[in-house]
Amino acid sequence: MDIVIAVLSGFLLAVIAPWVHRVGRRSAGWLLALLPAGLTFYFAAYLRELRPDFVVITSYPWVPGLGVSLSFYLDGLSLLFALLISGIGTLVVIYAGGYLAGKPQLGRFYALVLMFMASMLGLVLAGNAITLFVFWELTSLTSYLLIGLDHEREKARAAALQALLVTGGGGLALLAGLVLMGQVTGSLELAALLSNGAAIREHALYLPILLLILLGAFTKSAQVPFHFWLPNAMEAPTPVSAYLHSATMVKAGVYLLARLSPVLGDTEAWHYLVTGAGMATMLLAALLALGQTDLKRILAYSTVSTLGALTLLLGLDTTLSAKAAMLFLLVHALYKGALFLVAGAVDHEAGTRDIRRLGGLARAMPITAAAAGLAALSMAGLPPMLGFINKELLYEAKLQAPRAAGLITATGVAANMLLVAVAGLVGIRPFWSRSNAPDARPHVPGTSEVPGTSEAVHKEPHEAPLAMWLGPAALAGLGLINGLFPDALPSALVSAAASAVRGKPTVVELALWHGISPIFALSVLTVIVGAAIYVGRDPLYRAAQRFVPWLITGLRVVGHWGPEGGYDLALRGLNSLATTQTRLLQSGYLRFYLIIVMLTTVGLGGYTLLSRTGLTWPAGRSSDVRLYEILIGLLILAATLLALLSTSRLTVVAALGVVGYGVALIFTLFGAPDLAMTQFAIETLTVFLFVLVLYRLPRFAYYSSRRDRIRDAVVALAAGALMTALVLVVTSAPLQSRLTPYFVANAVPLARGRNIDNVILVDFRGLDTLGEITVLAVAGIGVYALLKLRLDEKNK
Amino acid sequence: MTFPTLNFPVIAPQIVLVAAALIILLADLMVANKRILGWISLIAVIGALAAVFVCRSDSAAFPLALGGPSGPGTMALADGLGLFASAAVLIAAGLAILLAIERVGDFSRFEKPGSEKKQARSGDHPIAEAPGPQVTDRAGAYYALLLLATAGMTAMATASDLMTIFIALEIFSLALYILVGFNRRDLRSGEAALKYFLLGAFASGFFLYGIALIYAATGTTSLEAILHNIQPMSISLPFRPLLPVGMGLLLVGFGFKLALVPFHMWTPDAYQGAPTPVTAFMSVATKAAAFAALIRVLAAVASYDRPWLLALAALAVLTMTLGNLAALRQTSLKRMLAYSSIAHAGYLLIGLAAGNQLGVEGALYYLLAYTFMNLGAFAVLLAVQRRDENDVTGDRILGLAGRQPLLAALMAVLMFSLAGIPPLAGFFGKLYVFSGAVEAGLAWLAIVGVLNSALGAYYYLRVTILMFMAEPAESDQEISSGKVETLQPGWAVMTTVVLAVLGTIVLGLWQWPWTQTIAQAVSTLALR
Repeated sequence: MDIVIAVLSGFLLAVIAPWVHRVGRRSAGWLLALLPAGLTFYFAAYLRELRPDFVVITSYPWVPGLGVSLSFYLDGLSLLFALLISGIGTLVVIYAGGYLAGKPQLGRFYALVLMFMASMLGLVLAGNAITLFVFWELTSLTSYLLIGLDHEREKARAAALQALLVTGGGGLALLAGLVLMGQVTGSLELAALLSNGAAIREHALYLPILLLILLGAFTKSAQVPFHFWLPNAMEAPTPVSAYLHSATMVKAGVYLLARLSPVLGDTEAWHYLVTGAGMATMLLAALLALGQTDLKRILAYSTVSTLGALTLLLGLDTTLSAKAAMLFLLVHALYKGALFLVAGAVDHEAGTRDIRRLGGLARAMPITAAAAGLAALSMAGLPPMLGFINKELLYEAKLQAPRAAGLITATGVAANMLLVAVAGLVGIRPFWSRSNAPDARPHVPGTSEVPGTSEAVHKEPHEAPLAMWLGPAALAGLGLINGLFPDALPSALVSAAASAVRGKPTVVELALWHGISPIFALSVLTVIVGAAIYVGRDPLYRAAQRFVPWLITGLRVVGHWGPEGGYDLALRGLNSLATTQTRLLQSGYLRFYLIIVMLTTVGLGGYTLLSRTGLTWPAGRSSDVRLYEILIGLLILAATLLALLSTSRLTVVAALGVVGYGVALIFTLFGAPDLAMTQFAIETLTVFLFVLVLYRLPRFAYYSSRRDRIRDAVVALAAGALMTALVLVVTSAPLQSRLTPYFVANAVPLARGRNIDNVILVDFRGLDTLGEITVLAVAGIGVYALLKLRLDEKNK
Repeated sequence: MTFPTLNFPVIAPQIVLVAAALIILLADLMVANKRILGWISLIAVIGALAAVFVCRSDSAAFPLALGGPSGPGTMALADGLGLFASAAVLIAAGLAILLAIERVGDFSRFEKPGSEKKQARSGDHPIAEAPGPQVTDRAGAYYALLLLATAGMTAMATASDLMTIFIALEIFSLALYILVGFNRRDLRSGEAALKYFLLGAFASGFFLYGIALIYAATGTTSLEAILHNIQPMSISLPFRPLLPVGMGLLLVGFGFKLALVPFHMWTPDAYQGAPTPVTAFMSVATKAAAFAALIRVLAAVASYDRPWLLALAALAVLTMTLGNLAALRQTSLKRMLAYSSIAHAGYLLIGLAAGNQLGVEGALYYLLAYTFMNLGAFAVLLAVQRRDENDVTGDRILGLAGRQPLLAALMAVLMFSLAGIPPLAGFFGKLYVFSGAVEAGLAWLAIVGVLNSALGAYYYLRVTILMFMAEPAESDQEISSGKVETLQPGWAVMTTVVLAVLGTIVLGLWQWPWTQTIAQAVSTLALR
């Protein structure tokens, strides 16, 4: 029960959050942060019970018809995520209170961010595939609303929608994959899926399932080629970027891979797809990160690179890689969260995020600078930060990769070198570089202009308020403390999480110092080369431009025409397709509608008739056709043609009359005189009525072109053919009426009448006739009233 | 001459509704305050809903049949399916009446042409008594027609004979033709009504012809008797080949009423031209009634044969895809919702095409969910619509969140639900029907459905973008600054929206009572 409350409490608080904001004013952030703080302690309490095989499952029925239950599954992996979500959530809520102070959107922000936190907790704790999906989509949705929080700008709206379409579309693929898994195992419960891994891997649907789920995970975690939405999502307010787009939501894909790796992992397809995507993402994003000038976009690309590394590790699917991935998750959340919050503080205090214009902020913002420095050290993987331990473990895992260890390690080292340089760019340069002389590097296309850079909007920078330096300081400090004492919290957490990922108990022992080993050498090399890249980035860039222009061009092309171009193209294509089809089908002219309807009906009916019956000409009957029948038939045909071709209305009316009389004659010949009488009467009346209105009609003219008329003729002939076919089928079998014998037998004894029609009308169906007469009478009165009304008006 | 045995509870809703319609027509002549008429009709609808529940609760006699005990020869059948669909129709009617109570004057009041002229002339003789502009308020007719349409729809939902279905269809169609063209000041309303009427009459012809062919093939119009007769080893039927053709023609008729592609062309025009409360009502209630009847007809006539299911699947694909594509580029929100309601008919059809218990259950759940969310969306359009307008473009809701945060938030929930975003009712409806399709081996259909949901999400979310992330247009800034008549939705409209949103949320979060009822309703049908 308590887990349900823990997850749902965020939604409840979100409902009253705007009110708290209005009442609590400046302290609202601190007040609202009490919930995530409480949740952090709640989840931290589970740390005491943390054993490698630790699992808590709670379940409540939700949609029994579909096998959906509101169940939660808490193990080491979930716990690691839950702690990150609620812990960083606390800091972000407090931070936002300062960052967005006085902005009109703050109330909405609180509500949405709490809702997001609850959804994210639900995602990582969900114990049912559909429940997981529900929370998965809720995180996409709240992210969408948060990205578009304060926007007049078209671009921000487009970014919000782009993020939602990409992740939401991936979510649909995920749903399909989950449902298929449920079909295979017969249950959507996570516990059942986890215990049926072998059955799923051996099933014929394994590959589709894997592809669908990877699609979901890759879009959410911004893997190449779906990475483009994340940098664009930097339009969001910085607390949102820090929380959603670095620490939590984008890790959801990684969470999913980790969660399902015991089920889907350890196959060739898994290795190649996951490792490959991860590797490509890691390297490409690290390269792109260096080309940015906006602090937040640099961070975004470095986040993408990290997500790639995490994916890569999960793709390796060894015990060591699982440990490394889990530790990396923790480390990255700590330093990247801090750096994002720092970027926000810098933006808030200095008025710009363009690193070419920032410099020497350390004196004005000492605490922020210290936090940034610590975070950057952790990111660069320098001792004694947790990041250092992590990097050692990373290299160890990559060196021991089951396949292509050399390639993977080399890529990893290269990406890490680039990230060391990036760490310097975001954590050191804005604070410690002496001047803010313009950077020599030109803007790399495919990146956005940094808002507020063109005009001189530099304010005199100040230290950020407490609410805004608390977060970065706490996160960076945690990176340091955990680095110094890695065997306390991190070891236990990572062990439990890695156990969940591997599906078997795994023990991790972390230590700051491993002795001098090839791994350490790699680490040192990484830092040295990375630092060199940072220091010499401008000459390097120029050199690259001269010697490897294809690299620059390549990045440019990726930026311009890469997957994002594909997304744009798809949207445009869809829009123009929509316009075209609407214009074609929805012309507004009734006649086109009728043509389409007629043709569909003829097609549908004709097809069924042909396929089901195999039309046969009723041969037996053609012998006894009499001459005058043929004559009448010809007369009807001729009159029809005349009606169609004549240009005189009077002729048309007369011809139609002939058609009617012809039909009536046929009735007479085939023994239905009463029907014929009715037909005669109606035909006569119709002709009269036509003649009466003829004089009031405009001059006869063809309003349609010749082509149109030919088209209409084809449609008419098709419809006529269908009707003819139907009549032929009806007449191909003898009629068996059950009613006629009944009335013949009962007309005299029951109703004392010989004319069956009359008897039916006045006796067998007497009540119906009464009703009919009443209706006619009422209608008559109505018509009389209308006429009288009109006459009265005229008389006035 | 014998009187048929009447089982009154079966037709109690219709009796209540028709009686109320007549009372309203009479009262219209006597009361000046037309709002009373609205309350009367609301009470009638609630009474009919109560009758439905009474019918349902009387489990001893359940299911009740009209014209003899349940079996061949019954004209109407108050079984789970019928009552469920009736309830959906009545909920829609109730909400539509509530929606109209404040705004009915906008489109029902009509000044006689020429009356101004008379007035002007009377101005020349100041002593002469100046007759005011001759205003006719036809609110009474509006409510009466709405109730009659509701009566027809509930009759269709419970009809168990092709003739009853046809008569019910005509009853509500005729009422709807008039309601669509109710706004006599709006040319578009008239055009819409004419198109709807002409195409609808055409469709009725097909429908009737289909019935005739089925009658020729099976010798009966009773659905149960048809099911009995066409079962193998039963009576030999000389015209059996006509059965599928008849079914095809019936499908064309149903296609019109349900706005399935390619019989949907009247829909955008009619939905856009009709007064907004009417659009809200007909877009959901017609579907509830017609889908219930279609489910019954399919169960009896098509016996859920594979070819028919494939035909339905093809219709579903066409309907979803073309509906969504057309909705993508609309600037008028009313027209967008019109196209999107076409797409929803496609999703609903997936459940029927699946043809299994789960699929049909899903379709019914979806119907109820759709009733709430679509009606709610139209209600929001009415809320932001000015008195002299009958349409809402995207500009009107630009930055709505700033002016009316509550209304914008409610609309957002409705849009999310329509887009199928969990955990709202719209999502579970889609999940249900798609699961049904997967279970029936129509995974490809589910995939097309999922892709279409993504397409749909695009334009529904655009609405939220307009509301939350954009600044109001020039003209509306004038409105918000008080230069122009403010657009404060009345309490009745707001209540409707709130009720619809509540329905959307509750259906999604609190599932079992509904799903249980639906499962019971479907279990009595002869599905595969």
